[in-house]
Amino acid sequence: MEKNKKIVIYGTILSLFIAAGLFLYTVYASQMLSYLSSDPKACINCHTMNSAYATWEKSSHKDVAKCVDCHLPVGDVVAKYKAKSIDGWNHSVAFTLNTYGNNIHISEDGANRVQANCVRCHSSINDTLKSNTSNYHSTEKGLDSDRKCWECHKYVPHGKVRSLTSTPYNLGIKENLK
Amino acid sequence: MKKYKILFAISLIAIGLMSALLASINEKKEEKVQLQEVPKIDKLETKNEEFRKHYPREYDSWKQTKNSDQIEDMLKKYPEYVVLWAGYPFSKDYNAPRGHFYAVEDNRNTLRTGAPVDDKTGPLPSACWTCKSPDVPRIMKKDGDEEYYTGKWAKYGSDIINPIGCVDCHNPETMELQVNRKYLNDALKAEGSKVTLDNATQQDMRSMVCAQCHVEYYFQKTPVKDGKTAAVVTLPWSKGTNVDDIEKYYDEIKFNDWVHPISKTPMIKAQHPEYETWKTGVHAKNNVSCADCHMPYVQEGGVKYTDHKIGSPLEHMDKTCMNCHRTDEKSLLENIKLKKDRKDELQGKAIKQLAAAHLEAGKAWEVGATEEEMKPILTDIRHSQWRWDYAVASHGAFFHAPEETLRTLATSLEKAGNARIQLAKVLAKHGATDFKAPEIADKKQAQEIIGLPFDQLVEEKKKFTNGLMQEWKKDAEKKGIYNPESTKGIETKTAY
Repeated sequence: MEKNKKIVIYGTILSLFIAAGLFLYTVYASQMLSYLSSDPKACINCHTMNSAYATWEKSSHKDVAKCVDCHLPVGDVVAKYKAKSIDGWNHSVAFTLNTYGNNIHISEDGANRVQANCVRCHSSINDTLKSNTSNYHSTEKGLDSDRKCWECHKYVPHGKVRSLTSTPYNLGIKENLK
Repeated sequence: MKKYKILFAISLIAIGLMSALLASINEKKEEKVQLQEVPKIDKLETKNEEFRKHYPREYDSWKQTKNSDQIEDMLKKYPEYVVLWAGYPFSKDYNAPRGHFYAVEDNRNTLRTGAPVDDKTGPLPSACWTCKSPDVPRIMKKDGDEEYYTGKWAKYGSDIINPIGCVDCHNPETMELQVNRKYLNDALKAEGSKVTLDNATQQDMRSMVCAQCHVEYYFQKTPVKDGKTAAVVTLPWSKGTNVDDIEKYYDEIKFNDWVHPISKTPMIKAQHPEYETWKTGVHAKNNVSCADCHMPYVQEGGVKYTDHKIGSPLEHMDKTCMNCHRTDEKSLLENIKLKKDRKDELQGKAIKQLAAAHLEAGKAWEVGATEEEMKPILTDIRHSQWRWDYAVASHGAFFHAPEETLRTLATSLEKAGNARIQLAKVLAKHGATDFKAPEIADKKQAQEIIGLPFDQLVEEKKKFTNGLMQEWKKDAEKKGIYNPESTKGIETKTAY
């Protein structure tokens, strides 16, 4: 009995060490810490975001907004990390279990965040729109706030025809070949 | 003690889960590296199976073109073809295309290539191998174009042995796309095309590699040393690539593939102007390349690769059409069927008109029509059949270019109609008012009408396939360019 007890204790300590080691290795292998940065390159640790990255990189937004400037709440740190954690969890589950399709779409929550950021930067345009509301035919509800900017500005900033299969040679893969 | 046990269990579970996760992460990283790897392969390696160890997915999907193995006897389906091609090898044997895997197999088995008994006999020139094998660019490089294009088809029987494969389209050192046959770039330049192989983008190349073969061409007789004549594959594009431009080109150089033995018409055989017709369609106008639909990207685990099982995009629409079209598969399929039905209707009418025109012209000669009377008629028949052939010879044109295909068929019908109106007059003038061309009932009857010794051809062919062809295979194996394993278990399928 005494012997069994020892095995359990030593086993527990040993397995805790192994677990801790594995955890450190997982942090390293998954480049976990890179997700704390705001570098767009962190978003292409997995190839799934290649087309989003490639289209953004060639867009008018590339010098003024990084991924996080549109896709995460700006200003409110708690909201930012909450969104980051939710997205991070969803993305890693999808990538690990291969449940994503070629043509990935933004979630509703994500779309609302982006919309808020459109308005945040383009506030003067937004004000003009609001003040012009009376000129529109449909004035009953005022400015229709349910619609998203990109329902009209379809190509901003990622282009319209875009999926995992649509931008195969955009990340220097071709350069690597040579 | 209980605490320890719980802790122990939790840490064991954590170890298990993390190990699984790490395995997944590392596997995906490995795939990422594998995706960007370029192993060294010999420049002149034409055995496709040698690429398998480095490009297993591409190779395996390429090999699946083996599944496209059904023989569809087009002469049986449309016996009028036999009359249209009387005096030309196509009246002997013509099937709908099978997978790339069978390119060499079918080229050797068709009655069209005849039954050579040594390397200097047989009806066709060496140029007939040009699109069938990666061994062709190897020989072109080794012997030079002039030597390659001189002599008989049988000359290269033991050298051209591997079916259309890797180095037909790829540079084996970098695996980048490349075109290995000179005539395409020559033609693009002659045409004045903005895109040539010198400035083609990756997206252009994804169509250009197909345009090496899926184009209209003819064998230009070119004198070479020792008083011999080479039959050089040439694309007739210098006046443009639509049906009228190429017709004008052939008329100006007074080219004909053969003279029709019944109507005495100097004929043009359209090959398969797939690239030329595709160019006029809506997909080409939107810069959708051949590979975008015929070689879609597919996913296997974390690896995305190009499907090399080249065939109909309709077999997996979720990976082809549906990448762009935001509608349902059913409505697209209905739409495509409509396009095909329209083409089938017009082409069915055209071949009936043309077969009758040939036979009526034959009768006209018989009852004493003069050259002068017949000349405009024969021009109409020549142009009509060229146009019909241009519209249907590349089997996909009805989809790639529906408008152009229907326009071409309409002009074919117009010209066949003109020919027959004039023929009626000529026949009446020479006292054959009541002549009615026989209806074409089936392949056998049609081949009897044109006097084709079908059974004899088959017998000779069988001698060839059991004799010389087997020697070719053995010689190729000795030369180290052929691995018999690569074609093991293939069932010989023909229409005869």
